Amino acid sequence: MSVRLVLTAMATAARRNTSDRSGVLVNAVFYVVVASVLSALWRAAAEANGGEIAGYTMVAITWYALAAEAATVSLNMRTIELICDDIASGAVESELLRPAPVLGVRISMAVGAALPRLALCVAVAAVLGPIVGGAPPSTAGVALAMPALVLAVTCNLVAQHAVASMAFWARDVRAIWFLYQKIVFVLGGMILPLQVLPDDLERAAMVLPFMTMAYVPSRLASGHVEPELLLLQLAWLAVLLVAAHAAFGAGERRLQVVGG
Amino acid sequence: MTETVIATRSLSKSFAARGRTVEAVRDISFEVERGERLAYIGPNGAGKSTSIKILTGILHPTSGDASVLGLVPWRDRRRLTMRIGTLFGQRSQLWFELTPRQSFRMLAAVYRMDADIAARRVAELGELLDATELFDVPARTHSLGQRMRCELAACLLHGPEIVFLDEPTIGLDLLAKQRFRELLVHLNESAGITIFLTSHDVADIEHVARRAIVINHGAVIHDADVASMRRTLLSRKLIEVTFADEVPAPMLSGVDVIAHTGTTLELAVDTAVRSVRDVLDDVLGERRVIDITVLDPPLEAVIAEIYQS
Repeated sequence: MSVRLVLTAMATAARRNTSDRSGVLVNAVFYVVVASVLSALWRAAAEANGGEIAGYTMVAITWYALAAEAATVSLNMRTIELICDDIASGAVESELLRPAPVLGVRISMAVGAALPRLALCVAVAAVLGPIVGGAPPSTAGVALAMPALVLAVTCNLVAQHAVASMAFWARDVRAIWFLYQKIVFVLGGMILPLQVLPDDLERAAMVLPFMTMAYVPSRLASGHVEPELLLLQLAWLAVLLVAAHAAFGAGERRLQVVGG
Repeated sequence: MTETVIATRSLSKSFAARGRTVEAVRDISFEVERGERLAYIGPNGAGKSTSIKILTGILHPTSGDASVLGLVPWRDRRRLTMRIGTLFGQRSQLWFELTPRQSFRMLAAVYRMDADIAARRVAELGELLDATELFDVPARTHSLGQRMRCELAACLLHGPEIVFLDEPTIGLDLLAKQRFRELLVHLNESAGITIFLTSHDVADIEHVARRAIVINHGAVIHDADVASMRRTLLSRKLIEVTFADEVPAPMLSGVDVIAHTGTTLELAVDTAVRSVRDVLDDVLGERRVIDITVLDPPLEAVIAEIYQS
């Protein structure tokens, strides 16, 4: 798949997504509400715990929550459901009529659609963070969190495409979407830092790909300058791409043999 | 010299559904020459869409062979998609939130077209389809007729040699249908594009196609040029008239009275025997008329006639 096609697909989706101004605004307001509430809860927990929780200060936990919510609010968490609908309705089948890889175009468009929202969430966080929690604990950490957020969104969307491929075999995979969402919430570190989890669960979360989807950028934004986390994200992205390619490719072949 | 661009030999496709096997396409063989305008028609569930899916490479046949532009569709799908265009009446190639011009940019990248060439092509298509002003308005604001013209532009962007159209006029009003049919004929005559049209609208066949293949229950039941079909199978027209006052049922040769309820008349006219205009002259006379409709018979009636003949 050519770079031109990837960039054009991303630009097309970004333009499409931002054409709905009210949708973008609602998304930003939603982000403000969720990030404010979650960071307030964690600050209260840290305060009750002597000003720190699982190694995160009150400022750090604020920036953790802001980054975690940005990584998830900016993308469509219903992507799995939408892909399943497209498989069931025959939309994916008609995309086979184009001389481009269906999965590649779909992932490029999904990432392109998420990036303007992510940029807006980051801009909102830059204003909201200092007001509710204080200045970020580390500039280097915030700088590393920027590419980590993009990788987090990409990993999440690629994983959703891999999971949604099940719809080529099973018509209704809404239950899978529900389960996936909850796993990202907990094992992805979206609603709480993984260090807060019981030891066994923390160890499990650290070796699963979900941690790339919220925990990594949040850990970096909270002042932990650990650049190796970016490499971990890249490695998981490669694995997820291979898995999505295999699953979606098998689904496409099935569609061509048994029909939609 | 003619060139065969589509050839099928004993093409069949069956699906397993709820423990039984459904034969969607059965032993279909036909050839299409370059530049033909073919109507591939049949009632709902006849196997039209399955045939198109096989010919465009998105579905493997259970048995038989097919070749489109010298390629085996299901093996050379990607290469084939560069040379064919597809338009499905109930599926859009455009992104509704964007203008068609923005969607065309994406499609040009998909078809690996140079940006300048694509822009020139869009300008040509805008002129050809009289749709230039529609290209800069978000697709969601288009009427269905306008949208279909933009869909046709999307389908033609990469210069396909064959265009497969699946129920392209579905949902269009009469004027939009007529305009769309004229465009298809114009494209075929001016650019030599082969038209493969599926429809269950009899008028699509009459106004667009030169040849029609009729399929039913997955098998070809008729393959003839439309001129001869018009004489034999499409000669009947239906007329519905509502009068202000009660009228007697007419007794005219070539005219069957289907229904008569005092003030309303439903007639079937065999135009090979008597023209619609003659019938209307005779039936209407000096009577006060509230409403008149002239219809083509439904495809099911044409198919019934094929079986009878």
